[in-house]
Formats: sequence, structure tokens, C-alpha cells
Amino acid sequence: MAELKIKGITIVETFAEAFPMVGTRIIITAPTLEWALIAARTMTGFATSVIACGAEAGIERTLSPKETLDGRPGVAVLLFTMDSEKLQRQLRNRVGQCVLTSPGSACFAGLEGEKKLKLGASLRFFGDGWQMSKLVGGRRFWRIPVMDGEFLCEATTGLTKKAVGGGNLLVLGRSHAAVLAASERAVNAIAALHDVITPFPGGIVRSGSKVGSKYKGQIASTNDAYCPTLKAAVNTALPLDVEAVMEIVIDGLTKESIAKAMHAGIHAVAKGGAKAGVTHITAGNYGGNLGPHHFHLKEIVR
Amino acid sequence: MSALVFELKQKPDQRLDLSPLVSSRLKDLNSKQIEALAIGTTRAKLTVGDVFKVKGRDASALRFVGTDGRCDKIGAELTEGEIVVDGDAGAYLGAGMKRGRIEVQGSAGVLAGASMAGGSIAISGHAGERAGGILVGETMGMRGGLLTIGGDAGPLLGERMRRGLVIVGGDAGDYAGGRMIAGTILFKRGVGRNAGYGLRRGSLIFVKEPKELLPTFGDCGVLEFDYLRLLERWLGGSGKRIKLGARARRLMGDMSVLGKGEMLILA
Repeated sequence: MAELKIKGITIVETFAEAFPMVGTRIIITAPTLEWALIAARTMTGFATSVIACGAEAGIERTLSPKETLDGRPGVAVLLFTMDSEKLQRQLRNRVGQCVLTSPGSACFAGLEGEKKLKLGASLRFFGDGWQMSKLVGGRRFWRIPVMDGEFLCEATTGLTKKAVGGGNLLVLGRSHAAVLAASERAVNAIAALHDVITPFPGGIVRSGSKVGSKYKGQIASTNDAYCPTLKAAVNTALPLDVEAVMEIVIDGLTKESIAKAMHAGIHAVAKGGAKAGVTHITAGNYGGNLGPHHFHLKEIVR
Repeated sequence: MSALVFELKQKPDQRLDLSPLVSSRLKDLNSKQIEALAIGTTRAKLTVGDVFKVKGRDASALRFVGTDGRCDKIGAELTEGEIVVDGDAGAYLGAGMKRGRIEVQGSAGVLAGASMAGGSIAISGHAGERAGGILVGETMGMRGGLLTIGGDAGPLLGERMRRGLVIVGGDAGDYAGGRMIAGTILFKRGVGRNAGYGLRRGSLIFVKEPKELLPTFGDCGVLEFDYLRLLERWLGGSGKRIKLGARARRLMGDMSVLGKGEMLILA
């Protein structure tokens, strides 16, 4: 079978293996977009991987005043974990410590969802009895007195169990700069889409992992097959001229949103062509036995 | 299918109890059965057919034409559908209703929307005393839904109200929001004496500053409320454009009771 190439870049015939997650969306508003972003960035900090962060989170998009319930600038945030209980805990802690505390902020549900997660319904206790509940248009909101006025927070937000985590692309290239530039293009293309986030720093992972380790208690360790400095010692997946590999991990509210994001990512990477230094686009998997969602690159690329 | 229309033939010589004329009761009845329904309130027997000319078939959309202030209990205990009143309504309009929509193009009598739990009532004209208030035998007034009064509201508006929103376009009478447990009343114009008397929780929002304030309310000064922005946006989305802004003077009270209620006087 002929090798699939886009602008001279090889699209490896493999698939990304992804996992079911539970996810939610909240909307943070503030007096200015800058302050909404500050609250959102703080809330989604240290949320790159469930391996050690407890959650994966990121900014989905910014919202104009016309799109928010209170007519102020806003930010949509997506938060994912492996089960509903952890999601509830992460949501309460992150909104409680990072959004409630941020000047002028308010917080609203961003998802209808099959089930509900407590938002203001648990944070209201911070009001120490002075909190007020308001039902507006069938939705319950809590007004919690704080030092700069009131923190307005919707009682609940929706939860979806159809979320998918771990959609991914691996970008291989002849120079670190070329791979970084191509990966940045992919992250920017994915950032324009709804329902997905790329939770790692700047959307890019340079330390992709494999399951397990030679060390007891270490649940994940470096993906040696993709480490360019180990080509001679391990069962490498890299050609000799590949100098760097970067991964773009994608979490989404639906399987379809991941596929769409991977498609956008591949085409953004390929935009520069092989001339810009990218040699391959591939994806990470565990042989297909761990995650039920398989995103085959040759189908995604179409 | 055209709306089921009840057109008043002539002024009734007794008050009418129109509570049987709701979608849930009428949807399975034919026109003869509907005309045979008793709606009198005295020993003189009176049926729908005696008083109204009945037209149309769609029981989910009722229309009363030419009614006056003696037509009581229109849409009382309503659970579904919509009612348009092309005229005035008597006492107990939509009292105890749970769902559905009532629109009155004229005025309504006493206890409109009293102890209602959901749905919406829009009265273009005035409403009598105790609108959104408490029905005899009930422990709470309005428990949910939306009551809009285009004109003036009588005394004791929203008495012992527990939840929901009342909007008054004209002036409200004395003791508005009296003994309220929670919920919101938005006053676009003036109020009478003793507004918020016995207010436990709940919000009284005044577009214009009331002439008299109870001394049992404490001043918190002028502050910014994102809640007002939210309410203004929601009202706008529901076709009610009322400029609230975000700044209001907050008074907490009634300190003679629980004192966790508020007056928000728009700044």
C-alpha cells in the first residue's frame, strides 16, 4: 500500500488510542476579559494530566459580553477527570480557590449535561448564612457576599459521561524549532474549535509517556521509543534524522470533537510541508487494548 | 385547530366560578358537555352555555372574550395550556396555578396569582389586593412563576411570598412584599407605606426610590450587583426590557424579623 503523505510529510498508518472521561464546562465572567482569563488560567493551572494533577483542564474559548448570562466578558473552561466523584471534588476545589477568590468574578453553568454537578450549591456555604438564592428563568443562582461585593454563582452545572481524553498527535521533525513551530500551528488550529482543549503547557507535551516503569511505584515513564537520544539503545520508532518529537494531547466533550480537532491539527502541522522540517505525523497508542476510542490517522486526515 | 373561545353573552347576575374552564378539564369534553358545566356561585343554577357563547375546539388555548370583574377563578389551579382574557378578570385569577400561561388584557380582581407555584400571568391593567399573596388556608403566598402587572397593584402585593418574580409596572399599594419569605418583586414606579414589612428573605427591587422606608431596614450603601445584570439580561431575553444597570443602594431587613431580606434601590 502506498504511504500516505501530505506536502511531503508522512502520515503514519496508526491510530490514537483514547479513553472515556467525564467532563464539564463552566463559564467564568469578570469586569474585563483580562480578569476572566486570570481566573480561568488560575483554575486550569496544574491540570495537564490526571496522572498527578487530579484533573485535565483548559480554556476552551473566550466569550463576548453578548454570549454570557450577565453581559460581561467571559471564558469557557473545560474540566475532565476519570469519574464523577473526582470531577465534583476538582470542580469545587478549583472554582472555590481560584474563581471565587478572583476579583469581580462570577461563575455559570456551561453544559446542560445528563447529570448535575454542584457548583454554587456547595460554594454557598462560604457565605456563612448570608448567602442568597435566586431563581432566574428556572435556573438557580447563589449570591455569596465577599469583600468586593458579591460572588454570583450558578447552583449546578452539567456533566457528561461521553467525554473523551487522550486524543493525540505526535509531530516528528528534523529540528526542535521546526517541530515546535508546527505544533504551535496545530494548537492554534485546535484552539479555534469548540468542545476541546489541549491541557498541556501551551497545548504541547514534550515528555510523552508509556505505561509503567522499571521502577516500582512509577505508573508512567518516558516514552523511550520516541526519545531521539535513545535511538541506538531501544526499539526506537524514530528515523535517524529525527531530532525532536512533540505531542499534542486533546480532551473533548465528545468523540466527534476529538476527531475534528485531530483533523485540524494534522492539516495545520502539514501546512508548512516537509520543507519546513517536519518529517512525520503519527499518534500514540497502547496496542489498542486499553482505550475503546481509536482515531485512525488515515481516516482522520480525510 | 382554533382556540376554544368563551364569549360572554351578557353581564351575569351573579359572580361566576370559572375554575372548571381549564385545559386539563376541557380537553376530553365535547361542546355539549362543556356548555353543561356549572359555573354559578348562588343557589340559582348557571351553566357555561347560559352565560357564554362557546366557539372553537382547541382546549390547550382558551380565550375569554368580554369578561368582567365578576368572572372569578379564571385559570385557577391551571396545570397546562394557555388562557387569554380579552376583558377583565375577577378574583383568584390563576390562583394556585402550577404551569401554563395566562394573559389578561384588562384588569384583575383580588388575589391574582395568589399561592401560584409556577407558570406565568401577565395582566395588562391593574391587579387588586394580595396579588401573588396568600390564599385562605395556605401557609405561603406565591411559590414560583412569574406575575407581571402592567398597571397598579393593590395592597399586600406578594404577601408571604416564597419564590418567583413579580413585576409591577404602575404603583403598588401599602405593605408590598409584606411578610415575604423569599422571592423577588420589581417595582417600576412607586409603592405605598410599609413596603417590606416583616420581610424575612427575598428582594424588593425599586427602580424609583420609595417615598417612605421602614426604619427597621439597615443601609449598606450603593454597591454593584452582578445579579441585577443577570436579571436585566434574562428579562430582556423574555421580551421585558427593563433597565436595571448594576448599581443599587442595598438596605437589609426587616430587622424586626429575620432581617436577611433586601431592598435594592437602583442608583
